[in-house]
Amino acid sequence: MKMTLLKALGTSALLSLGATTAMATECIAPADAGGGWDFTCRQIGKLLYDLKLVPSPVQVTNMAGAGGGLAYANVVNERNTDADLIVAASSATTTRLAQNAYGGATADQVRWVGTIGGDPGVIVVAKDSPYQTLKDLVDAIIADPSKITFAGGSAAGGFDHLKPLMVLKAAGFTNAKAVKYIGMNGGAEAITQTIGGFTQAMTGDISEITGFIKSGDVRALAILTPERVAGFEDIPTAKEQGYDVVVVNWRGLYVPKGISDDAFNGWATKLQAVADSAEWKAVMEANGLAPFTLVGAEFQGWIDGVVADTTALSREIGVIQ
Amino acid sequence: MEILSNLALGFSVALNPFTLFLAVVGCFLGTIIGALPGLGPSNGVAILIPLAFTLGLDATSALVLLTSVYYGAMYGGRISSILLNIPGDEPALMTTLDGYPMARQGRAGDALVISGVASFVGAMLATIGLVILAPMLARVAYLFGPAEYFALYLLAFTTLGGVGSKNQAKAVIAACIGLGIAMIGLDNTTGMPRFTYGNMHMMDGVDFLVAIVGLFAITEVFFFIETHGKGSAIGVKLEKVTVPIKDLIATSGSMLRGSGIGFVAGILPGAGASLGSFLAYMAEKSIAGPSGKFGQGDPRGVAAPEAGNNAAAGGALIPMLTLGVPGSGTTAVLLALLMTLNITPGPTLFADRPEVVWGLIASLLIANVVLLIMNIPMVKIFVKVLMVPAWVLLPGVTMISFVGIYSLTGSYFDLVMMVGFGVMGYFLRKLDIPTVPVILGILLGNQMEDNLRRAMVIANGDWTYLFSTGISIGLWTAAIAGFIAPIFLRRFLKRPPQPVDAEAD
Amino acid sequence: MASDRIFGLVVLGVALAYIASALQIQPSFLSDPVGPKVFPLVIGAVAALAALVVLLKPDESPEWPHGRTWLHLGIALAVLVGYAYALKPLGFLLPTAVAASVVSYQISPRLQTAALTGVGLSVGLFAIFKYALGLGLIALPRAMMG
Repeated sequence: MKMTLLKALGTSALLSLGATTAMATECIAPADAGGGWDFTCRQIGKLLYDLKLVPSPVQVTNMAGAGGGLAYANVVNERNTDADLIVAASSATTTRLAQNAYGGATADQVRWVGTIGGDPGVIVVAKDSPYQTLKDLVDAIIADPSKITFAGGSAAGGFDHLKPLMVLKAAGFTNAKAVKYIGMNGGAEAITQTIGGFTQAMTGDISEITGFIKSGDVRALAILTPERVAGFEDIPTAKEQGYDVVVVNWRGLYVPKGISDDAFNGWATKLQAVADSAEWKAVMEANGLAPFTLVGAEFQGWIDGVVADTTALSREIGVIQ
Repeated sequence: MEILSNLALGFSVALNPFTLFLAVVGCFLGTIIGALPGLGPSNGVAILIPLAFTLGLDATSALVLLTSVYYGAMYGGRISSILLNIPGDEPALMTTLDGYPMARQGRAGDALVISGVASFVGAMLATIGLVILAPMLARVAYLFGPAEYFALYLLAFTTLGGVGSKNQAKAVIAACIGLGIAMIGLDNTTGMPRFTYGNMHMMDGVDFLVAIVGLFAITEVFFFIETHGKGSAIGVKLEKVTVPIKDLIATSGSMLRGSGIGFVAGILPGAGASLGSFLAYMAEKSIAGPSGKFGQGDPRGVAAPEAGNNAAAGGALIPMLTLGVPGSGTTAVLLALLMTLNITPGPTLFADRPEVVWGLIASLLIANVVLLIMNIPMVKIFVKVLMVPAWVLLPGVTMISFVGIYSLTGSYFDLVMMVGFGVMGYFLRKLDIPTVPVILGILLGNQMEDNLRRAMVIANGDWTYLFSTGISIGLWTAAIAGFIAPIFLRRFLKRPPQPVDAEAD
Repeated sequence: MASDRIFGLVVLGVALAYIASALQIQPSFLSDPVGPKVFPLVIGAVAALAALVVLLKPDESPEWPHGRTWLHLGIALAVLVGYAYALKPLGFLLPTAVAASVVSYQISPRLQTAALTGVGLSVGLFAIFKYALGLGLIALPRAMMG
């Protein structure tokens, strides 16, 4: 029994030592285990196999480095024709590409397969906070920006930081440099600081705070989607409060540039199949993801637009020159 | 009573022949993974996640397997610390300070038994603490803001002077080397690179595992080549392995205090097991005062950090389960596993999924007992490592280190850097500069800086914010006392001058 | 004495270079009163001060190895660096056998035992890592695997 287990270990549980058995799909999560990219790889990988879309279990490789930049460079430079490789990506990937944070790499060096779910942006405060609506918070910042600090899961200038800045911009407040923000190691730490009263508000994705909303420790002031999200009907959108801002952290994949069109379309079809499955819908619901599916050529065009917009915004607030 | 019925629920989920079998396998693999330099609890758990899926394990069985590996690795890290002076993973760092001298005196068996029991005590108390206090203790994380964390790290650094070296200035230099290295990479506050000189590999900074394995394992190889093993523990005549009851009783206080300190460090998401074992060690050292033989093989110096790091591992599960905040690399991996199983940790987890939480707690208790039963008899086998000739053992350790580090990133860059650390470690050790502060600097440097800067952002640059709460004032007081006390103690107690303290000028 | 003085000078030099490098760091663009420079500058300054103390009050010099031992250390260092570069392109078995043999020979200069140790470790560790721990090591260069 023990031997069988050890054998199973040897034959199945490959780690990232550069070796890949032929045919097995590899999914690179460009961060350590536990984050959003890791989640994307593991969930999509699991469903690809469960739905019999790939013949053997998908190996997840964690390739942390430079906020995804190391994996990006690796795919572009060393794995450019590997048709069995998929890589987890999200808004963080495009934000960094737009801010030229991947050492000169650009978004057209890979092919963007698609997104199959979106994590709506939220702005939350602790339950005992004096701010009842998004307007209360925005007005307080406009009155005195030094009184309010946001906590978020990304570094300054990153995706979480951009969310309140976009809301404030919609409110006509453009002195982005005055808005105080501290970057924590992930959304859960940011929410802890906010509940603890050290920061006045938290900016993040809704999946990071579902438990805290359910337990009543925090109050979500706004969700940054076009319409209210199923399961969180109580949370008003920023749009209905008069700030037309939509920020959704998409979850999806890219593949190397050099693979054939057939291979690319194959991945697009498979991803669409995952998106359509009941299992994926259950995963989304359990994790606070909203449906947000764009696959193939349509996604590619959308990505180009997002990168251009982010570049413009980042330049405006001074993150890049 | 509710706790008991909950526990019964947990055991009813977690206790059956198959999961027990998984626990034994997991503990065994975990111990081995923990003992191998470079492979620690986090890659151990990461390696086994795919296995859990391939075998089609259900949520509970997967949890049992992985928590066994987690705790097994925490136990295993001490083995190479004691036998080879090479920490198997970063929480086992402090165990080298007294464990290895014990091994050199032929007391490797005693050191392993004491540390094994200490691990058990620490892990057990932490698990019990988790059972009774988890919902309450989750709130502790809310009390620690940037100012409090900064003071906590400061405490670690001000007490560093007493580690290893006789020359305070050298300990300061060592800490600065570590802190300086920690600054390399993306600045967490601005997202801008510092000291990377355009090199992609440097963007994420220097992994502390690379530094640990380099400074300890590779350095050891160089030393062996120079001295041919004079003064090492390899080949030392071993005393018969018995259970050192006298030492166990004498160190029981250290174990309890170490567990307490470690547990609290574990609960704080920013502190973790390494800080837990470090503070446990330093506390014991200062309690013992000049009567202790710390650094020369004092059993308390083995018991306290091992109880500390295992208690921290248990404590770290509290913020992970109740807040979804991983307190360490390993809990991050466990968090990933839970999320893959569609279990989202958070404040409602205890209420929503009691069978998962209590199943996990039951499996922790099972893993612990299995580990104790397995580890004590295995000491006899472990000490045999010291009978392997150096010309096999050291090349072996080197190759294992390479594979361990290679498995982190799959890049030659980290391997070359590891060899670089080995060279640095050789010179540092020659010049009597302690290496522990270097590692501590790398481990805590970024956190310390980030929290200082966060605090100043919140307070708009008002420095008094750093001492504005009771907790931070308490930590500052302890930090200042920890810095000054050794200087005064030395004066008052008129310790005999250090034997090698001969200064020519 | 001399050793500590040299070491103090090296640390002082590195610390000054570090401070110079820290001064080049781009200032923060957002609300950040401390900024990215302060902490590295403090570290550099403290290190420089401690280096001065060591320079002025050096300890006894340790006993340094002599000519032949330096050679052995140099060989070991070269082999380890080479091994780091060889592991990826050449697979696990060959570089490991060579590197382990050389390291073993530096510790105990007996050619046969060293070679046997190298081969034994290479094969043995490969088996352990690949089959017991499930690491995906490549045995041989890709070219030889076909």
